Amino acid sequence: MNQYVILTVVLPLLAAFLLPSAGRFSFSIARLIAPLVLLFSTYLLIDVFISNTEPFVLHIGDFIAPQGIAFYIDELALIMALAVQIFALLLWPWKAPGSDTNSSASVKQLSLMLLLVSSANGLAFSGDLFNLYVFYELLAVATYGLIAYNPNNDSGFDTGFDTGFAAAFRYLIVSATGSVLALVGISLIYFLTGTLNFAHLATLQTTLYNPIGLTAFILILVGFGVKAELFPVNSWVPEVYSATSRRLSALLAGVISKLAVLVIIKVMLFIFPYDEARQFVLILGLAGVIVGELSALKANDFTRMISWSSVGQLGLVFVAFSIPGKAGIIAGLAVMFHHMLTKPALFLIAEKWGGNFSLLNGQGRKTWLLSAAFVIIALSIIGVPPLPGFWAKFLLLTGLADNTAYLAMIVILIMTVIEAFYLFRVFNHLYGTETDTSGNILRHSFLDQLTVSVLTVLLLVSVVELETVNIMLNSMTDQLTDLNGYIARVLGSSGAGI
Amino acid sequence: MPDIASILFSGALGLLVIGLGGLLLSRHAYRVLLALVIAEAGANLMLVIAGYRWDAVAPILSGDMAPVAMVDPVPQAMVLTAIVIGVGVQALALTMIIRIKRTYGTLDMVQIKKLMEKDFDRIASASTSASKSRGKA
Repeated sequence: MNQYVILTVVLPLLAAFLLPSAGRFSFSIARLIAPLVLLFSTYLLIDVFISNTEPFVLHIGDFIAPQGIAFYIDELALIMALAVQIFALLLWPWKAPGSDTNSSASVKQLSLMLLLVSSANGLAFSGDLFNLYVFYELLAVATYGLIAYNPNNDSGFDTGFDTGFAAAFRYLIVSATGSVLALVGISLIYFLTGTLNFAHLATLQTTLYNPIGLTAFILILVGFGVKAELFPVNSWVPEVYSATSRRLSALLAGVISKLAVLVIIKVMLFIFPYDEARQFVLILGLAGVIVGELSALKANDFTRMISWSSVGQLGLVFVAFSIPGKAGIIAGLAVMFHHMLTKPALFLIAEKWGGNFSLLNGQGRKTWLLSAAFVIIALSIIGVPPLPGFWAKFLLLTGLADNTAYLAMIVILIMTVIEAFYLFRVFNHLYGTETDTSGNILRHSFLDQLTVSVLTVLLLVSVVELETVNIMLNSMTDQLTDLNGYIARVLGSSGAGI
Repeated sequence: MPDIASILFSGALGLLVIGLGGLLLSRHAYRVLLALVIAEAGANLMLVIAGYRWDAVAPILSGDMAPVAMVDPVPQAMVLTAIVIGVGVQALALTMIIRIKRTYGTLDMVQIKKLMEKDFDRIASASTSASKSRGKA
């Protein structure tokens, strides 16, 4: 059964290219195929997740690593891939972009969505640096198309398409520059070691502990960091999330950015487990937190506020992963999964709450469900106990304290206050005494309400099931930090060939 | 006389620097794209050099040939992939440039950003004015 994991990459890719032709015959068949493929890969991933307790390796084409490409499938990779399928299904473009009618999204858009899912699965599993680069580029191309094609049009203006193209072009330039930098980093690694397989590189770590190796790490960090909204390369974030539909923004900010983070963690853990590399990640992460939270404070509409806050949160993720040892990984994963649950919900709420904050006056009593969901999510992001956000930040801060990184602690605490300030400002509009006289009710579609409710309930369930979450985080961390096991599984010929 | 390897390396680095400089300094969208093309060429050249050996032959095995030192074929295969990806992205970027020129009438990156931000504000204020609130944007 295990070798069928490859189908989660292959099937969406195949379907993505067959869909346009299928759409010529019958639009409804094309519309049906795409979610069915995702459902099938969800089923496969759940099945593999349940039946395996140990990580396993797939050698593509039965070529044993390091000659061939190896897929390394551990708990974290499976959960990330599962999250991709589930969020893609939750945030599936059921409606055409920019219309309130029930006409369905075009075949091209569905095809791009499948391409996105396929490459995201590849990113989660692949154990080869160049293979990761190819999947990353595939993912990037799918997102360019989706952003250009997915106007945000909740205002009824027909400017949506134009802003979409402009934002997509500006994003493309940043992202393609990042890819060039990452490619240079990869070629430097190849120059020093002569291999790009993660396990093989892990055995050659000392070869890379020199200025050229660190340059390569920084190039790869900044290059792949574009999608992870890392500090110097995140100017695209508010533009793209303002220009595209909120459902796509939710998918990009919630899940796709985490896959870039996953790639960076793998590079950090397996190839460059050095203090210098961690320092660099810490500095960029802190800069991201500061820039993100301060810009969110300055933003005067809901969408840009949560876009910048997303930059701040991903900064926190990088700060957490810069803590050495298992404590850092656990804290990083906790912050990452918390962000993955909360940010898509916030973007879905922004669907109707975009625009000036004063629009929200008095909505707390009119649309009680989503307002309550927003309050719970916002409190969790700030880190109010007993919500999961508190535990994530607690792990992060204790990890920093154990490593005497007091400056980072102070910065994070100050930024938490700022975060609380701008989120409470929204509460004030929602439940404050100032009421809106027009009697406008910002009602979301049923689907959005349902999705946000599901995400909020999941957040609340994780409070009750804190013990289970803790056990899972620990086992993921154990698998991720088991470097010798990783090397033995990939380079020993124990894996299954396809 | 400097050896050929260092000349090629500095050439690749030079292309990268020219490309990145162009990306940062150009305002015209088409020039930004050309700068990206140059930077990509630099990165690709870097990748080819990474596996090249000057004392070796092309990595092709024929029947009765005695095994000799060969050039590493892996980076050459990888660079082909990278070139193809680059061409695809550049073509996509060109179509976007055409689309932007048609709608905004300009290819100045600064102008495009301004017009885009204005559109965002318009969208934001459109939903605000619909509810007749104070509107501070």
